[in-house]
Amino acid sequence: MDTSAVIETQGVNLWYGDNQALTNVTISFPEKTITSLIGPSGCGKSTLLRCLNRMNDLIPSCRIEGGISYHGTDLYGPAIDPVHLRKQVGMVFQRPNPFPKSIYDNITYGPRMHGIRDRKTLEQIVEESLRKAALWDEVKDRLSASAMGLSGGQQQRLCIARTLAVNPDVILMDEPCSALDPIATAKIESLMEELKSQYTVIIVTHSMQQAARVSDYTGFMYMGELIETGETAKIFENPEKELTNNYITGRFG
Amino acid sequence: MENEHVVNDTPAVSAELFSGRSSYLKERFIRSVWFMTAVFGVLTVFFILAFLVIDGIPIFATVSPVEFLFGTTWNPTGAIPAYGTLPLWIGTVLVTIGAMVIAAPLGIACAIVIAELASPRLKAVFKPATELLAGIPSVVYGFFGLIVLTDFIRVNFDIPTGETWLAGSVLLGIMALPTIISVSEDAISAVPKEYREGSLALGTTRWQTISQVIVPSALSGITAALILGIGRAVGETMAVLMVTGNAAIIPDPIYNVLSPIRTLTGTLGIEMGETAIGSAHYHALFGVALLLLLITLAVNLSATVILGHIHAKQTGSGKGPGRLSALLARYQQNLKIAAVAFILLLVAFFVSPLVALVFALIGAALWYIPSHIQPRHQQNIAFSLLYVAIAVVLAALAIILGYIVINGLPAINWEFLTTAPRALGREGGIFPAIIGTLYLVTGAIAIALPIGVGAAIYLIEYTRENILTKLIRTGVDLLNGTPSIVFGLFGFSFLVLYLNLGISLIAGQITLALMVLPTVIRTTEEALRSVPTSFREGSLALGATQWQTISRVVIPPAIPGIITGAILSIGRAAGETAPIMFTAVVFSSRYLPSSLSDPVMALPYHLYILATNVPGAETNQYGTALVLITMVVGIYLVAIAVRTHYQKSIRW
Repeated sequence: MDTSAVIETQGVNLWYGDNQALTNVTISFPEKTITSLIGPSGCGKSTLLRCLNRMNDLIPSCRIEGGISYHGTDLYGPAIDPVHLRKQVGMVFQRPNPFPKSIYDNITYGPRMHGIRDRKTLEQIVEESLRKAALWDEVKDRLSASAMGLSGGQQQRLCIARTLAVNPDVILMDEPCSALDPIATAKIESLMEELKSQYTVIIVTHSMQQAARVSDYTGFMYMGELIETGETAKIFENPEKELTNNYITGRFG
Repeated sequence: MENEHVVNDTPAVSAELFSGRSSYLKERFIRSVWFMTAVFGVLTVFFILAFLVIDGIPIFATVSPVEFLFGTTWNPTGAIPAYGTLPLWIGTVLVTIGAMVIAAPLGIACAIVIAELASPRLKAVFKPATELLAGIPSVVYGFFGLIVLTDFIRVNFDIPTGETWLAGSVLLGIMALPTIISVSEDAISAVPKEYREGSLALGTTRWQTISQVIVPSALSGITAALILGIGRAVGETMAVLMVTGNAAIIPDPIYNVLSPIRTLTGTLGIEMGETAIGSAHYHALFGVALLLLLITLAVNLSATVILGHIHAKQTGSGKGPGRLSALLARYQQNLKIAAVAFILLLVAFFVSPLVALVFALIGAALWYIPSHIQPRHQQNIAFSLLYVAIAVVLAALAIILGYIVINGLPAINWEFLTTAPRALGREGGIFPAIIGTLYLVTGAIAIALPIGVGAAIYLIEYTRENILTKLIRTGVDLLNGTPSIVFGLFGFSFLVLYLNLGISLIAGQITLALMVLPTVIRTTEEALRSVPTSFREGSLALGATQWQTISRVVIPPAIPGIITGAILSIGRAAGETAPIMFTAVVFSSRYLPSSLSDPVMALPYHLYILATNVPGAETNQYGTALVLITMVVGIYLVAIAVRTHYQKSIRW
């Protein structure tokens, strides 16, 4: 498992001001798998996720210690440009956040920002990404319509398509289904299953059922610490730690 | 019949339910009082319009409307009087275009820096500094322009006089900046943070995110900001009047920015005081005022409509992006090409085809090169330019303030502040002017505060949104956009002449009160709106009446906001010249007014006369400007302090 890790963290500590949000987190995310991070609210799982594409850089009071490596290079090293990093490590947010542009412009935004100008190529990217995100059939006739007119589930799949359009290596998903209804959730979950063949997916979720359904590996976090990590089946059926057992059996959280 | 039956049959418990008759009447009474204050705003607009029309229409007995609008000569005092306003409104248009060429890029750049780039600490400097620009009275801008700017232009361009279109545009540009900055900044800050994160997570630079996602999302707000800036520039009187040279000619060639120019407002400011009441000239001036009012009404209405669209979008009452922005988005490419082609054609036609060609080449280069620079470098260049823009604005503020403070300080002493002027203001002090300004401002706020607060209470607490409230709000918006000189003319025609109050303190107070009324209403509305609905529901659920709820629960937490509005109004009223010029002030008076029907001296007018009509009063000019600026800026600083204090302490 270690040999194929895309991202590894080594003893990560993180503070917001004086508030320690992560304590000594060591975890690795294997290539072309889905890893889910679970835990009660405020346990630091979203914070950990946002370290992996350096979105935490945008918060001025945030301070981070410890090592995070991406394919073996230090993610916070001087050689890494967070802008380039985020192209490799894409992110899908809790609430769907399409730009107030057309569906087409939403998808082509990333590629165009990265210098692709050829109309043919762009059209190809649009179709490919929308197909991968299982949205093509629903929107192919109205690509120039505003993305704001789509349903919540469609918007979220559009956001996934938008992320795929810049051809990332890792996709981070921060509770991608928490604002969606069960049917839309089911669509996103089956989509994740397909994405796994090409991408490494890391998902933060509140729903233990979702973690159990979709992920290969699971990490359980509590109060900023990673309590236990391992294959999903093992975590849910035979956890090592008492705390994990209590959480997944619903005794707290 | 059936109802009666029910009432008779109800048991004793409900006797209490029906006993509230007298308190019901009281509630009705209070409600109607607030209703009347609210209607006052609308009535004022119609009244102003009516009086301008009544006094303006007779000119069309002398000249035809077409000749009035398109006649090329304005010479009402010549042997054969001519009343063509073409050079005047062309002047207004040209000065405004010049001002926007300066203010639009600077203002949007500053708004981006304040909303997106500046650290909280820098923002705490930039924001009040740009707001301070709004606090400098227009007559002080005019004074600075007259003494420094026109001289600078005269020397650098080697022309006989610096009183030019260029000088007017530079000054107006600076004056329009605060409006453009604050409205654009609000629009940019209102862009959801999710857009920002969504874009950055795709691996784009901050500049790409700002220029491609954030600014386009805030585009309609920025457009409204620019239109409001235009409204500000069109309606400004004193500053323009003092620096544009006031020759009623159309620049030749039309783009000659070094030509003197005269605006609609300037014409009113200069000629109103010197014309015989009831003459053709007098009516022609009201015609000019009417024209001016209609232009500003149109400008401000369009801004209101655009801002209304945004509001609907943000509250979710609209569907998707506004129709306008959807249209703009669909035809973006074509619109851009059309606009560029149009401008190039204009340049080719009016200036020379060669210049147009050069512009086209530069434009093509600018379009081609950025896509071949790395995003990282693009960002560095863009951010540097943005910071240069805010540095320019801050430098302008520092130069104006610094110049007046340095030159004004030597004039300030005890005698200057406490004695009456001598030798036409060259010697002696400005005591009566200080007191006169205080009287005017106190009276104005005493009139505007109850009416304004009442109107706001009615609009927020008593009605749902309907046609009537929309009408009232539009009335208030229009009043807000009315140029101050138009208030002055209305005050002169209605208060001074029609009501026969004469040039008097009371006429000035009422005129100023009308001018600041919209500010009071708007800030009070904001304050009331920020009180959570749950407070009201909590009180009403305990059986309190509506007025009890408003007076005990809603108003107390809104007081700081209301006070801020009042202070801002005081600052605005203290610095204005145009509304009191024909209604309340005299240049020289040894005595303080003994009653409301006496005329008074006032600081802004005193400065205006000293700067334009009294040679050899340099020291006292700077002294007066410094006292005026200290007073107004001091008032504004208090308002800013009150606001930030309560913003920090109130959290619910």
